[in-house]
Amino acid sequence: MPGAAVRIEHLTKVYADGTKALTDVNLSVNPGEFLVIIGLSGSGKSTLMRCINRLIEPTEGKIFVDDVEITALPPEQMRLMRRQIAMIFQQFNLVKRSSVLTNVLSGRLGYLPPVWALTNYFPRNLREQAMRHLVTVGIPEKAQTRADQLSGGQQQRVGIARALMQDPKVILADEPVASLDPATSHSVLKYVEDLNRRDGITVMCSLHFLSLARRYGTRVVALKAGQILFDGGPAEIDQRRFKEIYGEEAVEVEIT
Amino acid sequence: MRQNAATPLPRAPELPRPGLGAVRVLAWLVVLGLIYAYGWKVTQIDLVELATKWSLARPLLVDLIRPDLIAREQLTQVNDAGIGLDGTVAPPAELRGPGRLTLSTTSAKIGDRVTLVGEGFAPSRPVELIWRDQAGSTATIGRAMTDASGRFEATISIPDVIGTEHHLVARVLLEGTRLVPSNALRLTLFRMVETVFLALMGTSMALVLAVPLSFLGAKNLMSRSALSLSIYYLVRTFFNIMRSIEPLILATVFAVWVGIGPFAGVMALALHSIASLGKLYSEQIESIDPGPIEAITATGASMLQIVRYAVVPQIVPPFIAFTIYRWDINVRMSTVIGFVGGGGLGFLLIQYINLLQWRQAATAVWAITLVVAVMDYLSSSVRQKVV
Repeated sequence: MPGAAVRIEHLTKVYADGTKALTDVNLSVNPGEFLVIIGLSGSGKSTLMRCINRLIEPTEGKIFVDDVEITALPPEQMRLMRRQIAMIFQQFNLVKRSSVLTNVLSGRLGYLPPVWALTNYFPRNLREQAMRHLVTVGIPEKAQTRADQLSGGQQQRVGIARALMQDPKVILADEPVASLDPATSHSVLKYVEDLNRRDGITVMCSLHFLSLARRYGTRVVALKAGQILFDGGPAEIDQRRFKEIYGEEAVEVEIT
Repeated sequence: MRQNAATPLPRAPELPRPGLGAVRVLAWLVVLGLIYAYGWKVTQIDLVELATKWSLARPLLVDLIRPDLIAREQLTQVNDAGIGLDGTVAPPAELRGPGRLTLSTTSAKIGDRVTLVGEGFAPSRPVELIWRDQAGSTATIGRAMTDASGRFEATISIPDVIGTEHHLVARVLLEGTRLVPSNALRLTLFRMVETVFLALMGTSMALVLAVPLSFLGAKNLMSRSALSLSIYYLVRTFFNIMRSIEPLILATVFAVWVGIGPFAGVMALALHSIASLGKLYSEQIESIDPGPIEAITATGASMLQIVRYAVVPQIVPPFIAFTIYRWDINVRMSTVIGFVGGGGLGFLLIQYINLLQWRQAATAVWAITLVVAVMDYLSSSVRQKVV
């Protein structure tokens, strides 16, 4: 149906080595939703996210972002489309030897003339905007620090600030807290939740812990072997569903 | 997971019996002992000689701790007067000593007798009269003594020389000496600068070629097609072969090719460094983290921006660090390269060694030690800052 923030139709991804990562996935994400994707490792969560900004090329199917069929866009227009779709990574993927401020500013590159890159030039208003985003995530004093000097939680907050520089309509968060301890996980997810609630940014976030999914998600989708197994409210996942998703031997671990 | 009690345990692999193991270890020890004994014989190790003949090396070792650094120089007063032969106008005087020289004639022929009067020198001191010809070579042609008023007079005959413009130099030897840097020290300092620049030029020439080659020698960039992969193997093979040729051999070749001197050393170091830098660079490119590239791509950045913000920060600082380290190594190598005619401190050192001038050799050895230590310190502190 039109009006969805992200709409996925019959998406299939087969890797060059024959691995079937996704099989006929259909999904529609409403604007302003906090969609949590759960599933075992290898169930296709990361592939699904990377198809949405075409870091991975889908094999079959269509994907619409804001009703634009991104799977049909030529490379240059796809590049411009990526500005609307920010991404947060499990390993933060910061440029370790660059300063925090440069890392945040790099989120804006899609809007800037490429030749400016040769002189590392960013206009003053952008630098101020980057500082504001660092204030939002609570680490303005780290602006001049090298990214690899920061703790994991701080690095992920830089990742969020970088995503904010894009003025995104959608944030794709690929296991954003899997490398973090429980307390830090919550503080990072709260920032994402804030963006979702306050700024109305649609969030698609894959998570390992069901407790986190229940706490932050407005909707939960479960993937198993590249197919959608469950799609519903966070409260609907009971013991039986849990065992379906994670297998018979799994025991739920709480993260509080 | 819980282990089900009903499942039988898999059989553990057989371990060798303990007794047999000891015999095997013993056998290996015997074999190693034999190998070592043979090595001892082949390399002619002779500890008795080492202990009894140390006195032979004593003069060398003593000279090593007293390098030739300063020399005593006779204090002098020097003046000259120009003289033109066969009708040529006499050249002007060049030396600005305190005295004044007057010739009975400034235009003469070979064999003529000329009277020389010197005034304003130190009183009662010996004087050396020196002929300096047009080419600058000198010869002592007479001696005199200044009187109580600092005046002397001497008659010389014009020697059989080539050329027309000459100088007659009077060198009044004063009482006492002064300390000056020795000739060996001055030469060593000059060669020291030469060594550092030799290494710098070799390294920078290598840098220019190694950077583009390193991209061709990085497997992650070159494994796209069969053609690029074969280029990769070609470049890597070149790196490996060039790296295994000692710079010493390269320097010998270049000393024959472009002549003995620092340029031969520069070429030898450059060629060797292309390979070793190229290998280090390409390994750095291979170990690049794809994460930041993925992240910057996801922001909608263009290719140029991705290279600038995700690739360059990952490779440029290590490239700089490797290059400085290579420079440091090349300063070390250039001393050895000098032995075979590659210029620099090594060239000076081998000459002093061949002339058995141990104290002068010691000067060069200490200079090498100093340069290497300073370069080592500088390069490691710069590297720490960059990476």
